[in-house]
Amino acid sequence: MRSLSYVQRVSLDFTGTLFPHAICIGDADNDSLNEIIVGDTSGKLHVYKNDDSKPCITRTCTGMLTCVGVGDICNKGRNFVVAVGAEGWFHLFDLSVVAGARSDSSNQQESLFSDDQKPYFTQHIPANTKVILISDIDGDGLSELVVGYTDRVVRAFRWDEPNDSSDPSSGQLVPLKKWLLEGQVDSLSVNPGPDGLPELMVSQPGCGYAILECTWTQQGSSEEEPGDEAPPTPGSEGHSRDVVLHLTTGRIHNKNVSTHLIGSISRGSKGDSTKCGLFALCTLDGTLKLLDSSEQLMWSVQVDHQLFALQKLDVTGDGREEVVACAWDGQTYIIDHNRMVVRFQFDENVNAFCAGQYACKDGKNSPCLVYVSFNQKIYVYWRVELERMEPTHLLRVLDERPEFKAQLEQLGVDAGDTMAVRGLVGELLYGHALKNICK
Amino acid sequence: MLCEGKESCPFVEDSFSRFLSQSNIYGLCQAGEQELLAASLKGRVVSFRYQDLQQKIRPVAKEVQFTYIPVDAEIVSIDAFNKSPPNRGLVVGITFIKDSGDKATPFLNIYCDYEPGSEFNLESIAQSCLNLELQFTPFQLYHTEVQCEDGGSETVFLLSGHDQRIHLYKENASLHQFEEQPVEKLFPELQDLPSNVLWLDVLRIPGGRRLSAFGCQNGCVELSLVDYTGPEVVQSWRVQQDSPISTVLLFPLTRTGPGDPHQRADDIGYNLLVTSTIEMAVVYRDVQEYGVSSPVCLSESDKCDAVLCALVTDLDFDGQKELLLGTYGQELLCYKVKTSVGEEAGQFQLLWRRSFKSPLLSIIYLDLTGDGLRELAVLTLKGLHILQHSLSSTADLVLQRLADRLSKQTVGLEVQPNPELDTEERDPLSTDEQRSPSN
Repeated sequence: MRSLSYVQRVSLDFTGTLFPHAICIGDADNDSLNEIIVGDTSGKLHVYKNDDSKPCITRTCTGMLTCVGVGDICNKGRNFVVAVGAEGWFHLFDLSVVAGARSDSSNQQESLFSDDQKPYFTQHIPANTKVILISDIDGDGLSELVVGYTDRVVRAFRWDEPNDSSDPSSGQLVPLKKWLLEGQVDSLSVNPGPDGLPELMVSQPGCGYAILECTWTQQGSSEEEPGDEAPPTPGSEGHSRDVVLHLTTGRIHNKNVSTHLIGSISRGSKGDSTKCGLFALCTLDGTLKLLDSSEQLMWSVQVDHQLFALQKLDVTGDGREEVVACAWDGQTYIIDHNRMVVRFQFDENVNAFCAGQYACKDGKNSPCLVYVSFNQKIYVYWRVELERMEPTHLLRVLDERPEFKAQLEQLGVDAGDTMAVRGLVGELLYGHALKNICK
Repeated sequence: MLCEGKESCPFVEDSFSRFLSQSNIYGLCQAGEQELLAASLKGRVVSFRYQDLQQKIRPVAKEVQFTYIPVDAEIVSIDAFNKSPPNRGLVVGITFIKDSGDKATPFLNIYCDYEPGSEFNLESIAQSCLNLELQFTPFQLYHTEVQCEDGGSETVFLLSGHDQRIHLYKENASLHQFEEQPVEKLFPELQDLPSNVLWLDVLRIPGGRRLSAFGCQNGCVELSLVDYTGPEVVQSWRVQQDSPISTVLLFPLTRTGPGDPHQRADDIGYNLLVTSTIEMAVVYRDVQEYGVSSPVCLSESDKCDAVLCALVTDLDFDGQKELLLGTYGQELLCYKVKTSVGEEAGQFQLLWRRSFKSPLLSIIYLDLTGDGLRELAVLTLKGLHILQHSLSSTADLVLQRLADRLSKQTVGLEVQPNPELDTEERDPLSTDEQRSPSN
């Protein structure tokens, strides 16, 4: 297995503890550069920008933050930051205002600044939150908020705001639906189904997953359904209809093992022919799988490390996203669609992990791996790009260039004679150095 | 703070092999054309190479079970060489200290297989051992070619020790084994040493002569010009530095005289690079002409802790050698001589630097992948890093040089009849030489 050591890293100060889903990478202030957003258990929200070790924006929320997210949740064409506490307090922050004000006027008043500290909007939603997702789950082009709970429940909400209102706080979250699952939900994701429409997927223990159906689209009258399980559908019937459980086969020692999932893994330009989305699963006992939405297994990898976080990241820059899985002990696997594995060992235990495009240096986004350690630091490995996933050598690269063969032919060198070609390449590169060596 | 080099490191890491125990500055050697041997403290020797499998290459680090190394042994140094023709075979030397509690005993093991067909088979070489008990603590194990009385040449081991002596081990052809022989007979310059020698380098130069240099624990550096008919010391120089010498390296470099843009490519001067643990690294320019009276310091080479290893080779394919220094401060520094006309000509300039995760111990530049392009192997305290040139840009360079050569050929074809073409094809060096002024 190919193993690498990344060295270019910056460390960010973070005093506190966090839940594994209380960290994300996203464009919090709508400047097209991504930030790292972290929420801790005391309710502090930190936003880190570039390689600055101190958070550039700090906010205080109510309760213990369990999950944070960035997205166009209000469908206004710009991103908001969402922080949800275990007690059910939902906080919405508009950080582009702060960033704008900061750059516009340096002599801003303290009072104005303290006003900005307040969330744009807060609302109480059912408590015991665990994980959130901001994405279009029903294919209407508008973002919804999906919340996973510690009690095996998943709820979907939509931001609703009167059209004529100019007051931002007049909007609110409207519950769309509640799903009850059999096992713990560790991740939420959206993946294009076989028909190309988004499907809401949640992970289920034992390397399984469930597709949650957005039944409100079929009823076609979303305005009529503001209450959660108000329509008198019998629980069991509704359950079997809205939740389609899939179990994957293979070596699963423990059917209760914690499982993570990530969907919508980009296939790059080559995968245009199929609409099926790619998604990956990983378990705490070291199983990794890549499947498409027609349930076809692309690959499966077994490792000896306890995988607790699953992300996607394009490290080769070819448009295809690689699967990135991280274990508690810092072992990180980057696996491409062809099952080429690159390992990286982060030398500490990991509290939380995420990967994504972060604008760490040079004012542009680059692929980064973000590790939250247990020693009050967040380590960002920036520019983790690779030229290619699999090790190769120069002759293979040259073979892909058509002019190389033609040139060899003109020189009278047999392209099949590896030793001769090797000698020629060595001579071309080091030729005039060779004659200096008298050793 | 060390300033950044003006360029970025042209290498990308291809693989990293973690070792179970640490190594030291004498712990890496090349064994055969495409293989490395790395020794770590706890008696383990790892062979590293690239395996060619189904059109793919794969890095393989495998422990080699060298016989007669006890489990409680601590390896000090390792070296390997191919016997000088007409003899065939790979010889591996390993020095270690067996600490059985009351008294530590040092040994030198020499592995060599005389069975026809298995002279280069590492597995069988590792099984045939000559075990020599030493009366001194060993340091660097080095090999060099010597001229025999019958006119042939032979490669011998030179081992420095804490007894202020250098010991010579030479093969006794009739007995098929190595034995210690008096060093002064073949190396008169290596007797009556001022202190324990930490590093030794020998370079053969035209005219039946050689340059030998060694650096000592007390900071003494001695350089000798030796005529090997005799052999007798023609001239010798001594410099006293203030800290232990970590490496000495002799290397040829094109002479650069100010105001001489049309220098001849064969105008070679021999230089001596000396790195020490506290002071700046120094290059003594053109030692045959100036002895040690023309030193050039490598600025900022003292800013990253002790320099532990060095390498001089052409890394950017321009025919001019670069200097690489590996430091305990986890930095790899690359220097290049300024060829520009003016006051700064002949000075060395920091070209690029690259950080590592742990202190650098040893560097070798060799073709591991068998494509004619060499890789940089860097041994650090934690393991072995293989750095590869960026393949796409190197492929571009190869294609461009091929095109250059072809266009030269066609020009030659118009002016000269065909036979001329053939010689040009076989002698690439002349082609390169013709090209270099125009570049």
